[in-house]
Amino acid sequence: MVSFLARLKKMVAGAGRGTAAGDGMSPVRQKFDQFKEVLRCNNRALEIIADMGVKLSGDYVFDRHYAETSFEAISDAVLKSVHALNALCENCYRDLYGVYDDITARLLRVVEQREDREGPVTLMLEEVTRDYGIIAGGKNSHLGQIAHDLRLPVPEGFVITTRAYHDVIDFNDLRDLVTRFEALIADIETPEEAIDGPREELRQRTLEMRPPPGLMSEIGSRLQRLRAAFGDDLRLAVRSSAREEDMDFSFAGQFETVLAVAADGDSVFDAYRRVVASLFCPHAVRYRRTVLPGEGQVAMAVGCQRMIDAAASGILYTEYPSDPEADAILIVANWGQGEAIARGEVPTDAFTVARTPEFEIRDRQIAEKTRGLYPAGEGGLAYRPIAEDDRRRPCLQDEQVRELAHMALRLENYFKHPQDVEWALSDDGRLYILQSRRLVLQNRKPQEKSLPDLLEKYEVISRERGKVAQMGIGAGPVSIIRGYEELDRIPEGAVLVSTRDMPRFALVMDRVSAVVTEVGTRVSHMATICREFGVPCLVNVEGILERVKEGMEITVDAEDRCIYKGRVTELLAYRDSESLNVFESPAFRLLRRILNMVTPLNLVDPLLEEFSLDRCRSYHDILRYVHEKAVQEMVKLGHDERQLLKNHLKRDLDLPIPTGIIVIDIGGGLRPEAPPDRVGFTDITSIPLKAVLEGMLFPDVWHRESMNVGFRDMVTSIVNAPADSLSGQYSGHNIAIVTGEYVNLSLRFGYHFNILDAFCGEVTRDNHLYFRFVGGATDISKRSRRARLIAEILEAFDLHVQTRGDVVTGRLGGLARRDMEHTLNILGRLIGFTRQLDVCMDSDEVVSRYVEAFLNGDYGIVRADLG
Amino acid sequence: MQKQIDGRPMRLMVIDDEPTVGRRLKQVLSKSGFDVEVFTSPVAAVKRMAEEPFDIVVTDFRMKEMNGMQVLERIRELSPRTKVIIITGYARIETATEAFRAGGFDFIAKPFRLDELRRSIFRAARALEADSSP
Repeated sequence: MVSFLARLKKMVAGAGRGTAAGDGMSPVRQKFDQFKEVLRCNNRALEIIADMGVKLSGDYVFDRHYAETSFEAISDAVLKSVHALNALCENCYRDLYGVYDDITARLLRVVEQREDREGPVTLMLEEVTRDYGIIAGGKNSHLGQIAHDLRLPVPEGFVITTRAYHDVIDFNDLRDLVTRFEALIADIETPEEAIDGPREELRQRTLEMRPPPGLMSEIGSRLQRLRAAFGDDLRLAVRSSAREEDMDFSFAGQFETVLAVAADGDSVFDAYRRVVASLFCPHAVRYRRTVLPGEGQVAMAVGCQRMIDAAASGILYTEYPSDPEADAILIVANWGQGEAIARGEVPTDAFTVARTPEFEIRDRQIAEKTRGLYPAGEGGLAYRPIAEDDRRRPCLQDEQVRELAHMALRLENYFKHPQDVEWALSDDGRLYILQSRRLVLQNRKPQEKSLPDLLEKYEVISRERGKVAQMGIGAGPVSIIRGYEELDRIPEGAVLVSTRDMPRFALVMDRVSAVVTEVGTRVSHMATICREFGVPCLVNVEGILERVKEGMEITVDAEDRCIYKGRVTELLAYRDSESLNVFESPAFRLLRRILNMVTPLNLVDPLLEEFSLDRCRSYHDILRYVHEKAVQEMVKLGHDERQLLKNHLKRDLDLPIPTGIIVIDIGGGLRPEAPPDRVGFTDITSIPLKAVLEGMLFPDVWHRESMNVGFRDMVTSIVNAPADSLSGQYSGHNIAIVTGEYVNLSLRFGYHFNILDAFCGEVTRDNHLYFRFVGGATDISKRSRRARLIAEILEAFDLHVQTRGDVVTGRLGGLARRDMEHTLNILGRLIGFTRQLDVCMDSDEVVSRYVEAFLNGDYGIVRADLG
Repeated sequence: MQKQIDGRPMRLMVIDDEPTVGRRLKQVLSKSGFDVEVFTSPVAAVKRMAEEPFDIVVTDFRMKEMNGMQVLERIRELSPRTKVIIITGYARIETATEAFRAGGFDFIAKPFRLDELRRSIFRAARALEADSSP
């Protein structure tokens, strides 16, 4: 594998240089061909990513071999894209190679399963994002997400990572022993007796381990931070967080937990050794071999969290154990620390709470609570009798019960599975989440009929329509989303229904139970996010919006592409019936980890500051960056007008409106029979140019009346002629450089200067649109009003918009041809509509009035106002 | 609807030494109305087959104790009417040809869509029905 990078580079070396077009071709045509090469390479890479992503939808069965070969294919493809961009831009983006090498090296560590030996040795819990899932361990990573993504209270603390584990093992010369042990447990045929010797030796020696240099000072500084916040008496709970713990397998109770540990380095390291040694307990090894057969690698992260001075603690199940169909939450509680409940040593209060938003408390069983666990002087916990008055008193007040139920449902909606939650109520009345894991209920009633027979009684809303973007089953009230602004009002657990998929749905993935769209693809950004969060998702479900109503309860079965009216409890029980997360084969996990470094997109909006090389963290970022820089190179195509007009056949465009556009066809943008000097609308075959012109020619858009420019406006127009870097060398001609699928249009009308660069063809991913408006004339307040008007209209049509002074830039990409044509048509109308509008921009009210008129198609308003 | 043959639910066996694959297939196929049993050990699976025949067997090809071809041969001996579908991540034309020659019903290369497997199983079910009708 190590020589893989070198091999790749050799393979594609020179590929970039070779793409330049032959002699005699115009430089503009050459640029365009190189641009097309960038698109081709990017597409190839994106297709591989999409293909890998779709494999994670749960709809496929594959093995490790597939994950490894996919990695090789994607690395190769991304490198070719980087080459293609450098060929287009004469090697201006050489730094991209360094970024590529870093990401590839990190991916190699994933493929070779070495990634848990990298990174920091400790992390504060609030720093543990999904990215640190491996080195922080499953349980800590869950807690980090709860604190970070859901902002629920979690006791403060830090993590000693798997990197530290490996350092400690190496420093204490235990590596050989560990490797031998791992080989033994990986072989499913090794009998337990053969493992016992090395296992016990490891257990003993880990109990005696010494800390490697540096680790104690790291732990020390973390402890200092906690002591500064919570005082020197602070006690810690030191717990295991093995790699797969809580993620895929519960490992509940398999490893040691050390409670009430004093907040000094020696005590913490001592507890750390005990927890690590529990990796090598007989029962933990047996469990591991059962749930992860054939997997040998062992590593453990450890969490050190502040122990809450718990007035009460307990456990919560988001589903009622004896009757999952009861639609209720069960909370059990006792005074003091919760360990006593986990061990089953004390009677508990039990609250049954409805899962609906009012969280009605259906039942309260208050037990006689005679004793509770509390921190004892020596470290550790001890039972203390409960004061007489408190014994029959409920541990939680009604308000607290409801608050806890609400937190738990948020956890369930986030993790997309019923949850088993450990919680604590602090002395000062705050509720904390100590742990949340997949709830496994074994005692389900066996069903007498087969599932297909049971489902017959439910009304089907849609059957075998649409495509599966993510497998799974989810139920909840319908929430119809027509625009981004409506996302805020989506209730917890809703089924999001929309006409099309939008990347910004990412914002609500933590709370929706399923997504259904009328149009969309399985390879969109949204589909990727659905997979990341495990949200069942069907796209392309024709006519779904006509068949559901806001608030209607539905069940989405993405496995069988079926949508039912009502809550189909049989399907939900079926979904939750597996004790294992069945999507979690080792090959599946490997592919997902590879994709975690390939697909996340940090560079979302090309108009934002953070769209820069140093924010490229994934292959997807590189591809996005490459595409954007290639587009920017194309925008400059019309920059040097004199050269352009000198080197190409130029033809005047004859239209019913006086645009003065000169057309330069560099391949397929005009009919072959088109005359060499003057062309008409019907001669144009360029898809994007045609669409823009259709917009400009739309009735009422091109108002002929010249505006009354006041004297002041005239003076400022001379002073403030557009002079940004892009427009500098444009001499005032209106030029359209075209091919069959491309246009680069520079237009100067009145006091405005527009650049439109668009690719619009059958391959959705190739399509882009860049629109830039620079204004002149009038004073600054009118100019900024006009900029606002344009920005508002562009935003209404889903463009990414940036406004700097009176320069408005709009970007859009990845739209299907029909949608692109529509947007280009709208831009044509906008260019015509705003031609001289700024002189009317007398007040802020005018802006809203004109925006509204434009959106309503009332283009005649301008003529009426001037009339 | 539940899949039936000769008035009883159709019995399906899945053999894959990767337990999660077996569980996944069991979940999906039970939902389609089959009576499914899963084995991670091909030896145990063949033993079970000798006790009570299954209508359809889906087996992985690369396994430690016994490969898919050997499983196929043993099952053909025990129950010639059983339809055997082989799944593998290392698909080669020769292996597929060999499997068909030895009486395999279908051969599916990983990665495959669950729907592909389901369709193959439905075809096997129809073939069984055709076999059993006079």
